[in-house]
Amino acid sequence: MSARTRDALSGRAAIVGVGATEFSKDSGRSELRLAVEAVRAALDDAGLTPGDVDGMVTFTMDTSPEITVAQACGMGELSFFSRVHYGGGAACATIQQAALAIATGVADVVVCYRAFNERSGRRFGSGVQHREPSAEGVALGWSLPFGLLTPASWVAMAAQRYLHTYGLTPEAFGHVAVMDRKYAATNPAAYFHGRPITLADHAASRWIVEPLRLLDCCQETDGGQALVVTSVERARDLPHPPAVIAAAAQGAGRGQEQMTSFYRDDLAGLPETAVVARQLWRTAGLGPGEIDLGILYDHFTPFVLMQLEEFGFCAKGEAGDFVAEERLPLNTHGGQLGEAYLHGMNGIAEGVRQVRGTSVNQIPGAERVLVTAGTGVPTSGLVLATDV
Amino acid sequence: MSDELDGRLKVYEGRPAAVASRGKDPVNAPMIRHWCEAMGDTNPAYSGPDAIAPPTMLQAWTMGGLSGHTARTGAYDELLGLLDEAGYTSVVATDCEQEYLRPLRPGDEITFDAVIEAVSERKATKLGAGYFVTTRMDVRIGTDLAGTHRFRILKYAPAPRRTKPPRPRPVVNGDNAGFWEGVRRRALLIQRCIGCGALRHPWLPGCNACGGLEWDTVEASGEGTVYSYVVMHHPPFPAFDPPYAVGLIELAEGVRMIGNVVGVPYDKVRIGLPVRLEFQDCDEELVLPVWRAQEAQGIQEAQGIQEAPQTQEAQEARKIQQTQKPQPPRGMTSGAEATARRVTSGTAKRMKPGDELPPLKIPITRTLIVAGAIASRDYQDVHHDPELAREKGSPDVFMNILTTNGLVGRYLTDHLGPTTVLRRVAIRLGAPNYPGDTMVLTGTVEEVTDDTATVRVVGANGIGRHVTGTVTVTVPTATAPAGGVA
Repeated sequence: MSARTRDALSGRAAIVGVGATEFSKDSGRSELRLAVEAVRAALDDAGLTPGDVDGMVTFTMDTSPEITVAQACGMGELSFFSRVHYGGGAACATIQQAALAIATGVADVVVCYRAFNERSGRRFGSGVQHREPSAEGVALGWSLPFGLLTPASWVAMAAQRYLHTYGLTPEAFGHVAVMDRKYAATNPAAYFHGRPITLADHAASRWIVEPLRLLDCCQETDGGQALVVTSVERARDLPHPPAVIAAAAQGAGRGQEQMTSFYRDDLAGLPETAVVARQLWRTAGLGPGEIDLGILYDHFTPFVLMQLEEFGFCAKGEAGDFVAEERLPLNTHGGQLGEAYLHGMNGIAEGVRQVRGTSVNQIPGAERVLVTAGTGVPTSGLVLATDV
Repeated sequence: MSDELDGRLKVYEGRPAAVASRGKDPVNAPMIRHWCEAMGDTNPAYSGPDAIAPPTMLQAWTMGGLSGHTARTGAYDELLGLLDEAGYTSVVATDCEQEYLRPLRPGDEITFDAVIEAVSERKATKLGAGYFVTTRMDVRIGTDLAGTHRFRILKYAPAPRRTKPPRPRPVVNGDNAGFWEGVRRRALLIQRCIGCGALRHPWLPGCNACGGLEWDTVEASGEGTVYSYVVMHHPPFPAFDPPYAVGLIELAEGVRMIGNVVGVPYDKVRIGLPVRLEFQDCDEELVLPVWRAQEAQGIQEAQGIQEAPQTQEAQEARKIQQTQKPQPPRGMTSGAEATARRVTSGTAKRMKPGDELPPLKIPITRTLIVAGAIASRDYQDVHHDPELAREKGSPDVFMNILTTNGLVGRYLTDHLGPTTVLRRVAIRLGAPNYPGDTMVLTGTVEEVTDDTATVRVVGANGIGRHVTGTVTVTVPTATAPAGGVA
């Protein structure tokens, strides 16, 4: 229904706790341990105990089951557990799942988490050369024999078409990298703390998959991030100002694939993001002009530009200039290029900090924050807002 | 072991490779004509009553030909024999440096002396470990020195051919098996909904347009264009050699599919490039559809970022225009085109450092490779026999250095005119010229003194730089053609 009408989720739940491990290239401990540490930190931040939790949500890609994390965290009975599919596209949808459970009374306190050793363990960037003959395997299998094997290559195919359609050069992507690294430079938690870059650095970085250079690609990271969601009423009794979930949405387009949506009409845009945008604006009762900052999923720079266009912040093909002119604060934690690649969950945490007023790169008066999830896949998004 | 061999080889340095040897034939018009035909060199200076031989033929007059060398000294044969015995059985020419002191004319009888100038230490190369042997030859007519020729070969032990792992397999199940069965019998099948007639790819059990489950297939015409593409650089995958291009092809029927674009270097793939279907046997089990770029014309059109369908008349008109007024392929000059000062048929005096010569595109056909080898009296099997070439670790026959030298000479005289005098050509070979490839020669003026210029020349093919080098030319002012820089 909500693809067509305003939904009833706005203002029902809030994010009340955020917690993370350090972000590193080699955590030296298990993914489960990272998950447990992040969840405990988020509960501490929320002023809640493991005994308060009755719901858990994570990604289908996560290797640490809800029940195992619960067991190792000192939690008891769970009445709600759910996982969301499609890689980083799940990020904001974990919060949506939590909010749905809370709004319907299925759970009181839900923890959303994602933890992995994505750098020292299984690196997504190292590509795929084999898949089992499931429907998903077959979908990706159309590309494999031809050597189109990596996430960067799947994004690059759309990026090339984007440049062609709007007569741009790869410099358009460079603006995103420069912006992310600028904020990372002043964020002590960021891997690239103290290391800003210039457009020239971007242009000089080596090709990964043309038209994408090294500095267009996010980092690979070991770490964990968790967030605690409860009702807005309960949130008001907790230590931090609540980050109210003004809207939450998932989206998939017609002819949607996972990273390989090459066969549908438009390769220079992100139709699934348009589906999310339509729902978020309608449910939150807001438009792009009323957003104070955006945390836009940035595994690869080109999709940041397409997201800005799909959300209506600027016209098609103009997002490079939009970013270069800093018309809207974006990715103030440094993004996944600058801070860490935590499958978008660290971006939600930054959105919460901005609403609380506690970001290291605080945007004065930030009251409404747009947060998005993995792109090029079925995706999701949130509008977080201060309590009214 | 190799240290000991190094020592035994070193003693040959300074020893003669040829003493007072005679050319097997006098300089003669038929060999000149064969050479010019092979090189595509139409320079009028090489025909007619006052003909001179193309200076780059210098080495050809000293070659042993099919019957072999009779002029070599024992020292040179011993040196090569030692290397053969030690397992360095293959040979490839790597460098050629020639100075031309006076022209050779039909009737001239040449003699030559050569010395083994240097034998390198054992070197690891891409082809395998080996030794570089440099000889220096003086070519005379009577007592007059006509030219010098420094030549470097690599005698090497062919590295065991890296057995490439097979490409990733297609992922096949009951829903898409029909597609891959079609490919195996060399038919590219597109699914068609029986309910609404919509064509679809990828294969699915039902139709996204109407939800119908009944389907059949139509065979693709094989025509398509590049809708988007990427160039893979990193990380490397053992089954592929980066950089390589992967295209998203829009078929004439309207569906798209991923595939490799062939017949064009990876950096010349462009959106809009017309392509045609072929099937490639990748290994014993795998046939893949691949897409062959449709000629340079397609590249030019794609460069112009024009995707509006061209009428056949427009295409014909364009072809005629191209025949009448040859133009360098745009892809070769993009960027530099707007700013480069073009050298057309000017004199050295009018040249300035930084000037660029228009590119010359040379399709590397099997015929060119073999004709060039024979015209230069080079009967090494790797230049004419694919089977023996493969036995020696090469994927196919490849162009010999004398042909490359001849083409580089032609490149300069084509653009500077028949009065141009080649003084010196020094080239180094890199990526081999295999059949089916295209080499594009480009040149940049480096230095100009009076009527003499040094031009840096690069010949790039689909796998890299085939040749790099410098050419020194004199364009006599007195006889310079009237036409200036266009």
